[in-house]
Amino acid sequence: MSLTQAQRPALQAAVVPQKMRKAPTSRRIMTGLRVLGIIAVVFVLVAPLVWMLLASLKTSLDITNPARTFDFLPTLENYNNVINTQKFLPFILNSFIVAAGATTVALLVGVPAAYAIARFKVTNATAFLLLARVIPGVSLLVPWYYVFSQLGIVGSYGVLILTHIFVTMPLVVAILASFFEGMPLELEESAQVDGLTRIGSFARITLPLATPGIATAAILSFIFSWNNFLFALVLSNQETRTLPVAISNFTAYASVDWGGLMAASVLITVPVMMVALFAQKYVVAGLTAGATKG
Amino acid sequence: MKKNLRLAAGLGLSLALAASTVACGSGSAQQEQKVTSLSIVSGNNPWAAGIKKLLPEYEKQTGIKVNIETFGNEQLNDQYKVKLNASSADTDVMVYQPQDVMREFTRNKWLTDLTGYTSKDASWKWDDFQKPAQEAAALDGKIYGIPLMTERHVMYYRADILKANNIEVPKTLDELKAATVKLNNPAKGFYGITMRGQKVPSVTQFSSFLYSFGGDFAKDGKATIDSPEAVKAYTFYGDLLKTAGPPGATNMGFVEASAIFAQGNAAFYLDADSQAYNFLDKTKSNVIDTVAYGSFPAGPAGSKPYNIVPWVAGVSEFSKKKDAAFDFIKWATSEEMFKKLMVSDTVPSPRQSTWDDSTATAKFPAGLVKIVQGIAATGVGHDRPQLEQVARAREFVGGPVVTAIEGGDVASAATAANKSFQELLDKESK
Repeated sequence: MSLTQAQRPALQAAVVPQKMRKAPTSRRIMTGLRVLGIIAVVFVLVAPLVWMLLASLKTSLDITNPARTFDFLPTLENYNNVINTQKFLPFILNSFIVAAGATTVALLVGVPAAYAIARFKVTNATAFLLLARVIPGVSLLVPWYYVFSQLGIVGSYGVLILTHIFVTMPLVVAILASFFEGMPLELEESAQVDGLTRIGSFARITLPLATPGIATAAILSFIFSWNNFLFALVLSNQETRTLPVAISNFTAYASVDWGGLMAASVLITVPVMMVALFAQKYVVAGLTAGATKG
Repeated sequence: MKKNLRLAAGLGLSLALAASTVACGSGSAQQEQKVTSLSIVSGNNPWAAGIKKLLPEYEKQTGIKVNIETFGNEQLNDQYKVKLNASSADTDVMVYQPQDVMREFTRNKWLTDLTGYTSKDASWKWDDFQKPAQEAAALDGKIYGIPLMTERHVMYYRADILKANNIEVPKTLDELKAATVKLNNPAKGFYGITMRGQKVPSVTQFSSFLYSFGGDFAKDGKATIDSPEAVKAYTFYGDLLKTAGPPGATNMGFVEASAIFAQGNAAFYLDADSQAYNFLDKTKSNVIDTVAYGSFPAGPAGSKPYNIVPWVAGVSEFSKKKDAAFDFIKWATSEEMFKKLMVSDTVPSPRQSTWDDSTATAKFPAGLVKIVQGIAATGVGHDRPQLEQVARAREFVGGPVVTAIEGGDVASAATAANKSFQELLDKESK
């Protein structure tokens, strides 16, 4: 038995909607799962931040009372204490100067270095540079402190920036070396054919295209320097103290000021978030540019 | 050949970098003839908070600018070790915790022997420092720091709860146990007692129990935490928390344990009197009007709470201004200054005369002042094992506390802990 010409499309028409109905269901399940997954991950990442924010608006008494997790009378007393009594604002400025300084120098030196490593035959250079991240910081600190105190420069911004470069530079070079390696050599070659020098083609072609990589490296090195505790603990003084060191003062001998600690933590986190959001624009732009390039 | 060239280039670069930093910093390293500034480093404690406000006074009197830096407890010792390992002259006055670091610091020759200084000026009255405080400041007969604060074990209790239940303030440990069991009401979230139960933090608060049962951590270089007295003390401490304590006690240090009392969820809290002021702060406490203070209850060997000096001020061996540094310490630890600090920051002064002055003690809770005045006769001068590796030792000594709270075999836990502790003592005596 065979189907007539008229019957065939009718059958197909009957089958097709059925398929179409099936596809959305499974897609809907997948979407649902994905949303659930995203919620779970976001919850894990955001919950501590939310707790920190809530705690910064509570008294110590409310913080240690589980019944008052969400139901409490908000107070700005902790922020008042942190900013006016503990005078935290200069520490924010200190951290900013040191992190920005260390990142700038790392970029100025690290970008050309990474380019050289990527384009010329420099074997194992990145691995060697990353060794600097493997060496425990404290083993460097004693000799450093000895040298710097002999020179009488302990406590200056210069010393803090110099030591933080040790944290930021390897990161910048490692990220950018692989980034430059991934960029097509042909672009530079054609630029040189059109009359640019090697340096000219680096500055006018490669560098602008590397903006997303540079932005990523800058954010990361800024954050690493911002969070560095150990070097500033020993090498800063009362005037140049950075945030992570200043915050340790909230745990006193026989009491812990939870509210103040959390308010200070919020103040530490916010500037980094702003820097990340600001630089993220460039990261995202770079990602799409890479995708269309194929 | 090529490799060498690269090496040379690298060396040249780093030299240039070093040279530029020298250029930045020169000028501040000049040796001072007349002392115009002093640098003090301290832990973040009430004494430091109080003295900060009085520094302008010192500057006006002497023309010396005093810079004070404060750190959290652990950070303080970390930065000392780095700076002193580098023989740094940057710090003049070092405020430190004698029980934790005095042995290590003196072995490394980081602290100046102050014995000669203390007898120089009779009007400063070294004799006025309480006897246990004088002993705490010395090691092998030499004084390495001037006491800044004292601290002792007290019993915090809820006066209202005891009254409502017709319970007398416990005078002995057995009475305390009976009271905690009677008041314990976990169904309503109220506990008879809260204390530290975490392995390392609990050691200091267990010490008074140990002494009051007739034991000690060690005697003449022999570990004694497996003695019958010690086992009884461990068992008693564990039973208190097991039968009338909050759940999860083995995860509690003073921060957690005191929070339960501050919330108003426990009848008793046994810990250091330095925390009394947290219970009197309305942003931290629900029990401002109901907290009361009692002496440490007596055990079979009497009431023997620890009575220690948590902080002393020493002079760095590398300081180039030792005399000026000690002059500052003398000023900061004079009778007049301690009286000011007692009023402004309730600093528990180590000077006997200050406790006999009712204007100086006015800011302290009356019940607490009585305990301080009476403790000199019975108190024990240490609250942790006395050896250089005190942090390691606390790991061992605290073990049986946890076993006791969990209801395990305390005797064999104590035997094992004693063996490890003894090995540590042996290593150090060599």
